[in-house]
Amino acid sequence: MNLLQHVGRYSILMYQTFAVPQKWKLFLRQTFKEVEKLGANSLPITLIISLFIGAVMTMQIQMDIENPMLPRYTTGLVTRDTLLLEFCSTILCLILAGKVGSNIASEIGTMRISEQIDAMDIMGVNSANYIILPKIAGFVLFIPFLVVWSMFSGLIGGFFVSLATDLITPSTYIYGIQYWFVEWYVYYSIIKSIFFAFVIASVSSYYGYYAYGGALDVGKASTNAVVNSSIIILMLNVILTKLLLS
Amino acid sequence: MIQLEDLHKSFEEKEVLKGISTVFETGKTNLIIGQSGSGKTVLLKCVVGLLEPDSGDILYDDRRFAEMGKKERTNLRSELGMLFQGSALFDSMTIEENVLFPLRMFSELSDSEKVKRARYCLDRVGLKDVYSLFPSEISGGMQKRAAIARAISLNPKYLFCDEPNSGLDPLTSIKIDELIMDITDEYKMTTIINTHDMNSVVTMGEKIIFIYQGSKEWEGSKEDLFQAKNTKLNEFVFASKFFQKTTENTFKG
Repeated sequence: MNLLQHVGRYSILMYQTFAVPQKWKLFLRQTFKEVEKLGANSLPITLIISLFIGAVMTMQIQMDIENPMLPRYTTGLVTRDTLLLEFCSTILCLILAGKVGSNIASEIGTMRISEQIDAMDIMGVNSANYIILPKIAGFVLFIPFLVVWSMFSGLIGGFFVSLATDLITPSTYIYGIQYWFVEWYVYYSIIKSIFFAFVIASVSSYYGYYAYGGALDVGKASTNAVVNSSIIILMLNVILTKLLLS
Repeated sequence: MIQLEDLHKSFEEKEVLKGISTVFETGKTNLIIGQSGSGKTVLLKCVVGLLEPDSGDILYDDRRFAEMGKKERTNLRSELGMLFQGSALFDSMTIEENVLFPLRMFSELSDSEKVKRARYCLDRVGLKDVYSLFPSEISGGMQKRAAIARAISLNPKYLFCDEPNSGLDPLTSIKIDELIMDITDEYKMTTIINTHDMNSVVTMGEKIIFIYQGSKEWEGSKEDLFQAKNTKLNEFVFASKFFQKTTENTFKG
């Protein structure tokens, strides 16, 4: 299949997905389940990654800044802005594309090859709407919490470095992360992540929904979901950065 | 009653169904038999609406599928029940939730009535103590029973079974066949079964259609099957020498 065929089939799937749910009660129940499964269950991995990246970033910036003209608080400032502008939205979503994307694609792919989706279609259930919409809604709703959680974790990681090493004092680090704070960067990061979450959930669902064959094909669908979600996120990042920061 | 009129279906260059016409009768177990790759599953998928035929029509109790609007097709789907080869139970739901699923989607009953109906269906197929278990926690035979319970939960008019005995031991196979026959009789459904299990054919074949390379080669009842003078049918039916001898002895007896 060429790119245009994929785009066409993806568009048709999204059209089916964004229909009015047949039963709102079931849709809300499914959405809360997905919030837990895709969102809340990603909190530990987000914490671990952000904490360590924040710590390493602080160390590297501090060690690289040798110019005596640069104030000491620059380390905190640069750590904060790097986390806010890129890490907590783009890099975090690339990591989540691996975790959440493969989870979605393999789950839906398994449902497809074991005829569970066919069973829904025969009953007259809009399977795309029933299975995919709660995943998109759940993940998009929860991603702002993950981003903010990642911001705090990353900054705390840097703070631990200031406590545990003599590279920077805690007071200088805290002064740095407060200095010249641009509130918009937080919103910018959250807005970007909402787009990325939609890409992860919808693209992964697409590859899972159209999986066919056996276990090997579900594996392929899962890999394609992660690779293509990541590529789209990177391209979208350029466009959103231009639109939101220009 | 389901009537097929000159059904054609191709996948790219390959013509899988070559003009199949027949009638599946109400209150009977109608069997589609044939070798692997003969087009049985494609035919069944066309009849249940998972595949759109290229030409020809399907009539459900004189209602033409091709002339139905989207709403009518959705309504028709609530009259269909299907038992898949691999059961196709939703593995994230318990057995009771699986049976409740179509009721929750389409029934206007109260929550307690839905649970009551689901439990009645499970009891009817002999699954009393597995309500809270997941599909992976029960045997293949029990999964088939649970799938039958799910298929009958909305009192369907048409029941479709795709190789209901596949992967089951002979004893469980017979029990599943008997259950399908009992349910067909009890609910006065039009049941269509896709199989190549000769034991099932002998047990259930009130009406049999033999498909050969996408065409209807023969049709009749299980009584007609052993007297048929169709070479292709005989090659298929008597592929097992043991089965051939057993049937010969039965007829001699």
